[in-house]
Amino acid sequence: MQEDFEAPSPTRRELLRMIGITAGGSAMYQAMSSLGLAAESPYLGPVDLQSAPKGASVLILGAGLAGMCAAYELRNAGYRVQILEFNGRAGGRNWTVRGGDRITELGGLTQECRFDKDLYLNPGPWRIPYHHRAMLHYCKRLGVPLEPFVQVNYNAYLHSSRAFGGKPQRYREIKADYQGHVAELLSKATRQSALDASVSKEDQEKLYESLREWGALDKSNAYVANRAGSDRRGFQKEPGGGLNGRPIASVPIGLTDMLDSKLWSGISAGDRFDMQPTLFQPVGGMGRIGEAFGRELGPLIRYNAKVTEIRQDDRNVNVTYEDMSKPGTSLQARADWCLCTIPLPILAQIPMNVGPTMAAAISAVPYVSSVKVGLQFKRRFWEEDDHIYGGVSYTDLPITVISYPSTGFHGAGKGVLLGAYIFGINAMDFTAMTPDERVRKALEYGSQIHPQYHGEFDNGVAVAWHRAPFSMGCFGLWTEDARAKHYDDLCAVDERIALAGEHASFIGGWQEGAVTSALDAVARLHRRAVAQGERA
Amino acid sequence: MTATGNRLKMLRIAALVTALSYAAAARADDPAFNAAAGITAVTGAQVYQHICQGCHMPDAQGAVGAGHYPKLAGDPALVSWEYVALTILNGRNGMPAFGQPVSQATEFGAVRLSDSRIADVVNYLRNHFGNRWKGNVTAAQVASLPHPP
Repeated sequence: MQEDFEAPSPTRRELLRMIGITAGGSAMYQAMSSLGLAAESPYLGPVDLQSAPKGASVLILGAGLAGMCAAYELRNAGYRVQILEFNGRAGGRNWTVRGGDRITELGGLTQECRFDKDLYLNPGPWRIPYHHRAMLHYCKRLGVPLEPFVQVNYNAYLHSSRAFGGKPQRYREIKADYQGHVAELLSKATRQSALDASVSKEDQEKLYESLREWGALDKSNAYVANRAGSDRRGFQKEPGGGLNGRPIASVPIGLTDMLDSKLWSGISAGDRFDMQPTLFQPVGGMGRIGEAFGRELGPLIRYNAKVTEIRQDDRNVNVTYEDMSKPGTSLQARADWCLCTIPLPILAQIPMNVGPTMAAAISAVPYVSSVKVGLQFKRRFWEEDDHIYGGVSYTDLPITVISYPSTGFHGAGKGVLLGAYIFGINAMDFTAMTPDERVRKALEYGSQIHPQYHGEFDNGVAVAWHRAPFSMGCFGLWTEDARAKHYDDLCAVDERIALAGEHASFIGGWQEGAVTSALDAVARLHRRAVAQGERA
Repeated sequence: MTATGNRLKMLRIAALVTALSYAAAARADDPAFNAAAGITAVTGAQVYQHICQGCHMPDAQGAVGAGHYPKLAGDPALVSWEYVALTILNGRNGMPAFGQPVSQATEFGAVRLSDSRIADVVNYLRNHFGNRWKGNVTAAQVASLPHPP
């Protein structure tokens, strides 16, 4: 259809296709909205840790959300708690990058973020669904204010570099037209008795009626350029006041063009359970949660502590660690019990005397490759020019996503976009670049959707999760086989050691998975501690 | 992006743009695919530069943080091509498996390399970054190794 259209930089993309297999466009859209399984949170309310044995202690490895919510509950229940954390800050992957922050990645390259005040990038988690009740509970308890996160924006774009001459289409147009055409076709099938075998005559009448409503069809159940259709897809000339206010209906995209474009694969992104409204974000960045936990736990967290060995015997758990501010030092921490939330690619390299089943489980879960790029622009052109307020545009370009800030609307100053959110082979490719190259590539691709990029770009930062020294990947990639073989072994308490984190959950890649796994592990450790306390 | 960019330009074939748009996962070494593209091969160097170096670094020196990515330059384990190929096929510790069947590889985020791509990158690794190990591995040899289920 677009023989003469040429994507500006297809070589890299072709090459990646030749190198390996990557999900196609429609799979990509689904993958984007599918961070693990869409399981509802099992959170039932605050964990019950009554009757903690006097003087019992728990050593927690990792001050991410799993480790800190465990520490918070255990401390409140009377346990003696200490956390060892590799980074110099609390939060782990719960992290917000702001102006003045320095990011040093594996390999040694350092970026200094130059965003304006109040602007930020969440390199990791960035949204909290309404049903992630444990997360909402802790935000409330810690006094972290929330605001709506806009996921679905009918005026954001669906974009294919190979359809409509590469011109991005509005989500509302694609959705209305796809629905309209399908409704019209199904209406025809009903009238031509094509559904007689599967739908009763009576139901066919109801179906016929409902399709008119669902697809915005006219009286004869046709999807055409008229007021009803434009009320869904938007107008050629929008209604207004006065003499010049008469609207002009817009013309739907034809069925063939619609199907060829494959843009229908982006329609359902916001229908998923974990993407449905209402979603939230903490005011000021997702990192506000980790920061609040960090303040709450204060001196219980020892920062810059790199765990080098974990040993348990029938009385204690002994952990050896290095104080990163004094390289070469070897320090010891000891407790009755240990909750380890260290990401598995790192834990798999740390000597630890657990049983063979847990050891096998720890080595069985590679981590997803993912990259995010934050781009600061001199003005909020997506609002001023394109009338996009929050939400997400999806594209078949390697950047996959452009997301617009859900806060600071109509701000007069600069603004920061999420200019790329990438998984799979394209994420590996972006990881292999320098941070500057990632930003440059995100600009090059994104300018195909927003040409204003060229004139308005200010500065950017790029985080590749496999280059993060503290996680060595984004989140655990469980295959069905690996989950069947290893998941229970990963979660089972091994003598005095339990593991927690999003990797030990069915809500992979979500903070809710980290927190609920920690609460579950803590409850089981507590039962053991109580049982042993009574024995002693 | 100079040297790499030029190499990539040479490989650019317009037909692919339409042929593969939104395509479902297809074998990268599918003969029809290569014939349509008129392409001889993606080199082991390109596989390394676009995938492996994200972790193992451009100079194959690896990196150290809370954990580490192994240094491949001068790694004596590379004496065994089977060890290298099996690691790529099946993964190791946190490293993803690149030899999964399509049914698994099309799951979220996973990437599959064909046996010939794996042979290419094994040969590249064993003869670059100061490594000099004899013997050229073929796709058939890689195919004879156990692949992940």
